[in-house]
Amino acid sequence: MKSIVRRLPRWLALAIVGMLAVALGVGFALWDRSPADTSALLALSLPDTQGALQPLRQWQGKVLVVNFWATWCEPCREEMPEFVRAQRELGPKGVQFVGIAVDQRDKVVQFAKELQLNYPALIGGYAAMDLSKPLGNRLLALPFTVILDRDGRIAHTQLGPLKPSQLHSIIDKLV
Amino acid sequence: MRWPDPHWGRIVAGIAVAVALGAASPGTAQVNPLPPDKAFRFTARLLDARTVEARFRIADGYYLYRDKIHFAVEPATAGLSVPKLPDGTVKEDPFFGHVETYRGEVVVKLALTDPQPGQRIVVVAESQGCADIGICYPPTVQRAPVALPEGSMTPVPASQGPKQTWFN
Repeated sequence: MKSIVRRLPRWLALAIVGMLAVALGVGFALWDRSPADTSALLALSLPDTQGALQPLRQWQGKVLVVNFWATWCEPCREEMPEFVRAQRELGPKGVQFVGIAVDQRDKVVQFAKELQLNYPALIGGYAAMDLSKPLGNRLLALPFTVILDRDGRIAHTQLGPLKPSQLHSIIDKLV
Repeated sequence: MRWPDPHWGRIVAGIAVAVALGAASPGTAQVNPLPPDKAFRFTARLLDARTVEARFRIADGYYLYRDKIHFAVEPATAGLSVPKLPDGTVKEDPFFGHVETYRGEVVVKLALTDPQPGQRIVVVAESQGCADIGICYPPTVQRAPVALPEGSMTPVPASQGPKQTWFN
């Protein structure tokens, strides 16, 4: 083995190393792109602001926009009026927004009232936030949004606010 | 080896393709924020036998909320009096009203009420902050060990402080 390695011209050895690096890069890219499993997310059942358990499966078949947020997260609150607008406009087309609040119930109730939230605000806590990690939220930061197509497959994940134009162009392809 | 070697072009092109593939994963937002312990680096050092200086070094583009910073010591028997946090930058939040934030650096003096000579304590800091790119981190707990001086509890000069910590 050693002698084979010694006999290889240097350029060839370098080329092999280069190709291995490429293979690793491509492999990682493909692995990174493999669709995340949404079954844990869809199996989730969380209390709404009234305390009633809401299973996420009830919205299966719709384009589902799951937004992890909190009142203590200002960028989260800033993007939510657009979600309210989109729910009003796109709800009849089969789009359902669901907020999972990593927060205390009273804060969520107060903010939902101020915003006149027209989609469910489920109270998740930090345990629910952990569910966003395998979906791409490696740092467990907020806001984090997952858009599922009608078959429950991930169409988009987003850490940080969604621009309204971006939100609409993604959803338009799914409805 | 000759330079430029024709194969180098292929190698470089191959790596470029791999990098491009990695960067182009569709459907994922391209933000690369720091993990919270890097965005808000926490350290603690001994100032004298009864005082620890706690410090957050906040990366550019990140900020911490003043009212979300809490300290504790382990073991709790070392005792910690309620620290005075420096004034932050006032911001009017539409939901929470008056809030104060820190950027750059926050330095807080922590007074121990019942330290034991030679005791090894851990300063526990909870903080919560956000990044200007529009994300916030949940409350993060960071820990920094500090070794209290052996022997008499007479204050040591501040300049010798860092040598007493586990970090230096």
